[in-house]
Amino acid sequence: MKRNHIIALVVIALLVGALMVTIQDASTYATFEMAEKKSPETVTVVGQLDLDQPITFNAQTSMLRFTAVDKDGERSVVYFNQPKPTDFERSEEITLTGLSSGDTAFFAQDILMKCPSKYADEAKLSAE
Amino acid sequence: MNYIGEHTFWALAGRFFTYLAFTGALGTALFYGLNWFRPGACSGPDELGRPRPAHGPFLSAGRASFVLHSIGILGVVSILMTAILSHWFEFDYVWRHSSRDLPIEYVFSALWEGQEGSFIIWMFWHMVLGWFLVRGARSWEHGTMAVVGLAQLLLTSMILGVYVFGTKIGSSPFVLIRELPENLGLPWTTIKDYLIRIPAFRDGQGLNPLLQNYWMVIHPPTLFLGFAATLIPFAYVVAGWIERRPLDWVTPALPWVFFGVGVLGTGILMGGAWAYEALSFGGFWAWDPVENASLVPWITLVAAGHLMFIVKKKKTSGGLTALMVMLTFVLILYSTFLTRSGVLGDSSVHSFVDLGLNGQLMLLLGFFALGSLVLLVARWRALPKNTADEAFSSREFWLVIGSLVLLLSAVQISFSTSIPVLNKIIGPEGLIPLLGEAMAPPADVFRHYHSIQIPVAIVVSLFMATVPFLRWDSTPGAMMRRMLPSLVASLVLGGLAAWGLKFDQPMYTVLLITGMFAAFANLDYWLRFLRGNWRSGGLALAHFGFALILLGALISNGKKQAISQNPVFLHKDFPANEHILIPAGDTVSMHPYWVEWTGERREGHFQIYDVNFYGTNPDQTPGEKLFALAPYIQINPRMGNVREPSTKHYWDRDIYTYVSFADMRSPEEKESGWTEEMEATMGRGEEVFVFDEFMMRCDSIIVNDAQMVQETGDLAALDMAARLTLKHMDGRSETIDVPYQVRGNQATPGEAEFAALGVKARFDGVSDEPGRFTMKFWRKSPEDDEFILLQAFIFPYINLLWLGVVLLAIGSGLAVAKRIVGPKPAPKA
Repeated sequence: MKRNHIIALVVIALLVGALMVTIQDASTYATFEMAEKKSPETVTVVGQLDLDQPITFNAQTSMLRFTAVDKDGERSVVYFNQPKPTDFERSEEITLTGLSSGDTAFFAQDILMKCPSKYADEAKLSAE
Repeated sequence: MNYIGEHTFWALAGRFFTYLAFTGALGTALFYGLNWFRPGACSGPDELGRPRPAHGPFLSAGRASFVLHSIGILGVVSILMTAILSHWFEFDYVWRHSSRDLPIEYVFSALWEGQEGSFIIWMFWHMVLGWFLVRGARSWEHGTMAVVGLAQLLLTSMILGVYVFGTKIGSSPFVLIRELPENLGLPWTTIKDYLIRIPAFRDGQGLNPLLQNYWMVIHPPTLFLGFAATLIPFAYVVAGWIERRPLDWVTPALPWVFFGVGVLGTGILMGGAWAYEALSFGGFWAWDPVENASLVPWITLVAAGHLMFIVKKKKTSGGLTALMVMLTFVLILYSTFLTRSGVLGDSSVHSFVDLGLNGQLMLLLGFFALGSLVLLVARWRALPKNTADEAFSSREFWLVIGSLVLLLSAVQISFSTSIPVLNKIIGPEGLIPLLGEAMAPPADVFRHYHSIQIPVAIVVSLFMATVPFLRWDSTPGAMMRRMLPSLVASLVLGGLAAWGLKFDQPMYTVLLITGMFAAFANLDYWLRFLRGNWRSGGLALAHFGFALILLGALISNGKKQAISQNPVFLHKDFPANEHILIPAGDTVSMHPYWVEWTGERREGHFQIYDVNFYGTNPDQTPGEKLFALAPYIQINPRMGNVREPSTKHYWDRDIYTYVSFADMRSPEEKESGWTEEMEATMGRGEEVFVFDEFMMRCDSIIVNDAQMVQETGDLAALDMAARLTLKHMDGRSETIDVPYQVRGNQATPGEAEFAALGVKARFDGVSDEPGRFTMKFWRKSPEDDEFILLQAFIFPYINLLWLGVVLLAIGSGLAVAKRIVGPKPAPKA
């Protein structure tokens, strides 16, 4: 059984190693303020689109610029070097993965949007 | 009250069949299970080592219950199908998932699109597979069917849709919209002919257009058949351990494991094929939590299958094998929990909506997980003791190691996928707040998973190449030397291929070589050692297929080439992206092609963009037309528009392209000429940065005329203007006056244009802060601004992957066939 024990130990060591790598790779949920402190670490910010601020998309460079509000209510200009997602303005919540440039803006590498399903609106049936 | 036009009889019938299925499952579990209380049933084989007679008094009752259960399931499926086909939109499920214009082939998709329907298809497969056990499991019928009955009981409870003491148990697909809790008591529910009066009921919501793809007709049922197939080995292992036969269950369960490996593997990659064809994330695999959730049980099922060979041949490793089979089934349930509980909402694009059944799902999961664990602990001593170490050169030793590597891979994928769950448990707002801040999924999922899964793939492919050549107990040197030709061939060809494909990452090169080694060795094993025999070649062929999957995935992803490089330089630390702008009618270079966008057209839900690909002449000018692609944007008011790719397939590469941005505004909007409205509050001397490229400065405020009302001192009339200077980054500048008028209480905003720079300003009003005012700006939409952004990739040798899937399925099928159809060994005297 001795060899089995060695194998078990090696497997456990590898497992621990793999999970450590996983935890190291995991980014953290942050606010813009935390993102700024952690810069240039990549973080995930959950927030909303600020529709009162301009949303501009430059097609030549395919650069999207908008303002987002995080869960603490802090605003930040966000740059996203990808084409504007479809129905971007309709999004209810946006999850930004990226890093803060220091104090001026947030550079998003990835945006996940949560859109309200139209079902919710249409389900409110009314007998006119 | 009698409502007009409703099919309440069928709603009742649906409920009736649901309850019948539930009761039948209860009877199946109970009566087959009671059989365990017959004398000696759980004390292992008799003195002569024969399994004890299985015919207990409850056999007929168990079978009859399963017949009732099957009738129930078939009834539920038929009624739901009829309701969808007949457009009975008073049913919530039908209204939500289908519509009148749904093509017939997608009616099946509508059936399983929702959560309730996906439980139904899953139970349907369990029921079908259950019949194989009733007909053919012989001495295992009682034990396995008791487990199947129990699983069906818990799954049927997910579609019961009843309230017990105020707790919702299951969600029925036969609920009428007017019966939904949120609609109870609403005025329209009291109208007799609401189905005719209210227009919303004339048509359903329709099937999510994303799922209207032929892969989506076959992917879910195949995947669920694979899911269902894992129940059978699970049922065998549980029965075996309860009956103190902790090794004997392996032989009858083996074909089911290979059936599961083949079907689940095919099902998973059918999902990949759908993603490749219908989604634009640029590949067949995205490490999305939902994909991972079905991959992980496949990996443990593969490990379980390999371990079962050891149990069968050597009567050892019984504990690890049982653990792996149980883990596989529990992981299938866990994957259902992940995708249905809504816990992945933040991290996955395609999880189901929460139906409020989380508690029930967790009970289901916890019951089988804990039950398995308790059974393992309680019966561990029934395992035969073996103290001898396996020899280093034995097949069994390396099969165990290989399975542990697979387990490692499964645990890592599972762990990363479960980050949202971990947050719920140990995150700052979780049950036991251990973490200071919430963990988020890795920012770069590809780099993350590949950093561990590529080394795993290297080890696994090495094992796949070598272990088939090893013998049980110990391997003679002559056998070892048989691997040499494949090894040499893979080193030479792999090296050449890595050089030819310009692989620059050492890990990729190593995997290329070991992957080829696995492919060659198994082909060699089959052709030379098994002399190309189809009957025994199943495993070699499946290994060969899986090696091709690894190679296809490696080359097509590792050498995936984005040919749509954006030529605009931004910053050295901020690379330009891979989306290229193509003006209408223009031809742009996408090395090695020239690409022209010729126009767009509308077909049904699809806005189609026609793109021509041309070759490149030696002088770098566009050459002859090679092919045309038609990527499109699916107009999807419900889920949001979806960009769908179009792909040109060559035998050795795919050219994959999709429209990543197109101006979807209506013609009227485009004609207005002014876009990108923005607002700013300014004062004299202040500057605002507008539209990313201009500086707007307010030089002065000019008051042309101001009249007061003598008596009150109020303003009677005011004519003023803001003098604005707009300066472009390239140095051009322009100055204009924007007027503003007040007559009594009436203010008139004035507008003016920076004609040369194409910006319009409107003096919108005076701010509350003294001396400041609000301005609105628009920029002119450029004339002839018809353009699209395109992203295009070349995926080299992706066909290896699809070929590998087919071979894996055929190989697994042969392995199953050998163990079912093959001549039975002569009975021992």
